[in-house]
Amino acid sequence: MKLNIEGLLVYFPYDYIYPEQYSYMLELKRTLDAKGHGVLEMPSGTGKTISLLSLIVAYQRAFPLDVTKLIYCSRTVPEIEKVVEELRKLMEFYAKETGEVNNFLALALSSRKNLCIHPEVSALRFGKEVDGKCHSLTASYIRAQRHSNPDQPVCRFYEEFDSVGRQVPLPAGIYNLDDLKDFGRRKGWCPYYLARYSILHANIVVYSYHYLLDPKIADLVSKELAKKSVVVFDEAHNIDNVCIDSMSVNITRRTLDRCQNNVDTLQHTIQRIKDTDAAKLREEYRRLVEGLKEANVARETDVYLANPVLPDEILQEAVPGSIRTAEHFLGFLRRFLEYLKSRLRVQHVVQESAPQFLKDIFEKVCIDRKPLRFCAERLQSLLRTLEIADIADFSAVTLISNFATLVSTYSLGFTIIIEPFDDRTPTIANPVLHFSCMDPSIAIKPVFQRFQSVVITSGTLSPLDIYPKILDFRPVTMASFTMTLARTCLCPLIVGRGNDQVALSSKFETREDFAVIRNYGNLLLEMSAIVPDGIVAFFTSYVYMENIVASWYEQGILENIQRNKLIFIETPDAAETSMALEKYQEACENGRGAILLSVARGKVSEGIDFVHHFGRAVIMFGVPYVYTQSRILKARLEYLRDQFQIRENDFLTFDAMRHAAQCVGRAIRGKTDYGLMIFADKRYARADKRGKLPRWIQEHINDGSLNLTVDETVQLSKHFLRQMAQPFRQEDQLGLSLLTLEQLQSEEMLKRITQIAHQA
Amino acid sequence: MIIKEDRGEQHSSAQVLPRVEMDEEPERAKRWEGGYERTWEVLKEDESGSLKATVEEILFQSKRRRCVEYGHPPTPHTLRCCKPSAFPPPRVIESHGQVRLGMMRHLFVVVDCSRSMEDQDLKPNRLTSTLKVGVITTKNKRAEKLTDLAGNPKKHISALKKAVDSACVGEPSLYNALSLAVQTLKHMPGHTSREVLIILSSLTTCDPANIYDLVKTLKCLKVRVSVIGLSAEVRVCTVLTRETGGSYHVILDESHFKELLMLHVKPPPASSSSECSLIRMGFPQHAVASAMERDARPSFSMSHLDSGAGPGLSLGGYFCPQCHAKYSELPVECKVCGLTLVSAPHLARSFHHLFPLQPFVESPVEELQGSRYLHAHARALCGYSSVTVLVWFQVL
Repeated sequence: MKLNIEGLLVYFPYDYIYPEQYSYMLELKRTLDAKGHGVLEMPSGTGKTISLLSLIVAYQRAFPLDVTKLIYCSRTVPEIEKVVEELRKLMEFYAKETGEVNNFLALALSSRKNLCIHPEVSALRFGKEVDGKCHSLTASYIRAQRHSNPDQPVCRFYEEFDSVGRQVPLPAGIYNLDDLKDFGRRKGWCPYYLARYSILHANIVVYSYHYLLDPKIADLVSKELAKKSVVVFDEAHNIDNVCIDSMSVNITRRTLDRCQNNVDTLQHTIQRIKDTDAAKLREEYRRLVEGLKEANVARETDVYLANPVLPDEILQEAVPGSIRTAEHFLGFLRRFLEYLKSRLRVQHVVQESAPQFLKDIFEKVCIDRKPLRFCAERLQSLLRTLEIADIADFSAVTLISNFATLVSTYSLGFTIIIEPFDDRTPTIANPVLHFSCMDPSIAIKPVFQRFQSVVITSGTLSPLDIYPKILDFRPVTMASFTMTLARTCLCPLIVGRGNDQVALSSKFETREDFAVIRNYGNLLLEMSAIVPDGIVAFFTSYVYMENIVASWYEQGILENIQRNKLIFIETPDAAETSMALEKYQEACENGRGAILLSVARGKVSEGIDFVHHFGRAVIMFGVPYVYTQSRILKARLEYLRDQFQIRENDFLTFDAMRHAAQCVGRAIRGKTDYGLMIFADKRYARADKRGKLPRWIQEHINDGSLNLTVDETVQLSKHFLRQMAQPFRQEDQLGLSLLTLEQLQSEEMLKRITQIAHQA
Repeated sequence: MIIKEDRGEQHSSAQVLPRVEMDEEPERAKRWEGGYERTWEVLKEDESGSLKATVEEILFQSKRRRCVEYGHPPTPHTLRCCKPSAFPPPRVIESHGQVRLGMMRHLFVVVDCSRSMEDQDLKPNRLTSTLKVGVITTKNKRAEKLTDLAGNPKKHISALKKAVDSACVGEPSLYNALSLAVQTLKHMPGHTSREVLIILSSLTTCDPANIYDLVKTLKCLKVRVSVIGLSAEVRVCTVLTRETGGSYHVILDESHFKELLMLHVKPPPASSSSECSLIRMGFPQHAVASAMERDARPSFSMSHLDSGAGPGLSLGGYFCPQCHAKYSELPVECKVCGLTLVSAPHLARSFHHLFPLQPFVESPVEELQGSRYLHAHARALCGYSSVTVLVWFQVL
């Protein structure tokens, strides 16, 4: 259908539209009009993706000069593919309605592992291996060597692409990962490099967060993307953690050992080159004297996305003399390495700030701040000069040099924690140096600065105002949308007591309490008897889950549960978990019924959807607080308090509740879906916890569903499940939660739609 | 309608079944054992704070539902206070209109007798509420045929009454129950419908093989499987009923359960692919050779040839008009000449499904002035029924 969104003609590829989609598009359009950033929360399963795509595509068509590109960032490969499929549907609709062939180019980009078509390389199992192998076939000097030595193996797909692929742009169309591979096979071009090259002129790019947020990758891939782009971060409730992870560095003894090997290898290579080709090193030296002028020019002309690892100040200056020659630089690295080794030999936990660290390093081994800053850049230059084929081998030394640059660049926002052993195993020495980023805004800052509009969206972003705070940006729109429902298909229940009136809680003091564990077991047992097909249960941590399950086993509860349903358990091992998931789905499918025990913040809680019968109930045992004794977390909390005036408790609760909401949100993936959401902890009933749940869950929690006993929960659930099993047809939804074009245009409906968006 | 149901073949009681833990007087089950009933939620005050309107509405609805269920015409005085538009229609009404109905049905009713049947959310418990019908029980992962396909409701009811006392243990197996039903149903002629109605209380099924293969077989054999769930929607039943063209319902409460069961009494529309439309039928007389007659001697009926149970020899029986084979009960297909044997009441009973009564038009009592109209009404009703009776005889 064709919609009129405040004067913008939007093609929407479905005959019906949800009222909240319309409202969402309105808000999105206002964000784009204002050329600002936005935070939008809309429940999962209400068609966020298609609303986003249809509005932005329409906007691009209407104002081709204002918005040239859409960069859509998602988390996983299946999600990326889903977005592209939606886009394809939209484009087909465009073609049908307008009758003209549009020249839109949209493509997905993923790692080499997902795109490689080289028969030998693509057979490798791990992403790192693929990258390394690819690099050893396509690096420029390898290819140069081929001129003198025709036996040198190269990748024929890359060769083909390099000779002809760049002249001919990728024909307009929608390319999924498989389409790219097909195209590559037909033409004999490397799909990965083709995609990387094509994103520069594509209208829509769909890829993972890391291509934009991780400085190492962003520098390679996204540097040249146009300024007038709209960036969308979908499922962005965890974006602060992604930012932090991409900037943090952990150094163990093993890293240092591997780094030592790297440095030795470099030493040998330099020696060899010096004997054969000294001119090359001299050339490099000359370049370094001139400084990083090129990069500076580029940044000033605003061609590139800024790289947080390469701060502005560095660009103004030349590489300092002390590390300009290759040998000196290696000596420098060795000294730095020895220093780190000595730091790791501690017997107690050390926590210090970056300036303290710099002072210490200056006193001990006379390393100045300035050369440290250039470390990363200098190493890159050296690796280029030495023509090292397999970059993957040098990850350790790259890591160390990045650390050096970061620690000397940012005096604020990072902390250094050296732990001599893991807290769980205090007898085994396993020293780790955590250089942890506490300020997610550092990694995302270039994105906000460079691109015209950045939209952060997810099903669970409550409370909305915290994201602009911790990411340090100023949004023009912040809105939370509710789900309009023809029937209440979600049933959040807060279970606060067992049948024996024992308060249920996972808080630390009562964690080991026998009565609590037994009551949790009873809850699961009772639910397993009345909920059909699949139940997903989430625990706060692996340790807690292990304890509880062991205890249930001793009490015989597990055996009773197994009479009703099969039990599957998520483990930290990815292969085991995916096996368990597969069997779980099979059991749900053929009517045996199953329970999946998993962990909040685990793989299951984030990326896996439990549609319809795969998740008829989600039980959240306890409040999934992050492990508060961790020193990194403590440092971060302190930083948040000092810099952003966010109280520790507020942040912890916010973090716990967003994960809880993520977990229970797994079960509802659309309006025809239904599911129970059981929060088994009495603390959920408190206003400060409840108030942090997304609005679309909150509005279904009434006073009658707070602090229930297990028995009451069973009664309510039974009733709910029977209600939901009654036939539900599309006609029931029409006019209420599903609108045709005519219904949409009615005066009354427009009034109601404006109430859906809840401005934060 | 011709429900072929059947004769009590009580399963062997070699295994000692523990008795169900049930009160001596099931109707007076302990209240605290039952669930919370939020009876107060039904009541709503009107503007003046009075409950009268709600109470009247509840009373009216219960009356009305009774009328609908039993097909009684609502007499004018039951509709005294009705505002026709104010009430929702009964929850299940589907009318087929003018379509061909599959009048000859072979229906297996599968009753789940697993552990979950002991749940007390239907008074006194789920089993006793359910066992007003039922042929195959599925329990302890095994399916047992309680009664064979046959048409005598009395035998069938008595078998069920015995089953009320049996224990509900273990897990049910959809697969076993269905395959047992299929074994019998697949030999039934193509012009009749093959149906299975499952009353499922459990939320799980414990199957020896992949049930989706069986669903395919069922689909090929055109067996229509319907399910009434007593607890909640189960995925495998949804697929099963969708694939085989049956219906799937989940009950809300006792009365809804009854409604759903009654829904299955109506014959389903015949599929266009079913074979012939005209069937030769015989109407055998029930002849009892009186003991006075000289040549009267008890004889075996044909149906005993293979079942071999029950009293073998009898004096009376139905004799096939074509070949004089003797049968002890109807309806049945003659084993000798293949003629379908029915009795007149069977046809008569099926008749009102073919030509259902028109829904009565509600007329508020105020509009009817004086008793004259009321009489006229009553007379009209009598007239109607006598006409139908006439029609029946014409058919016979």
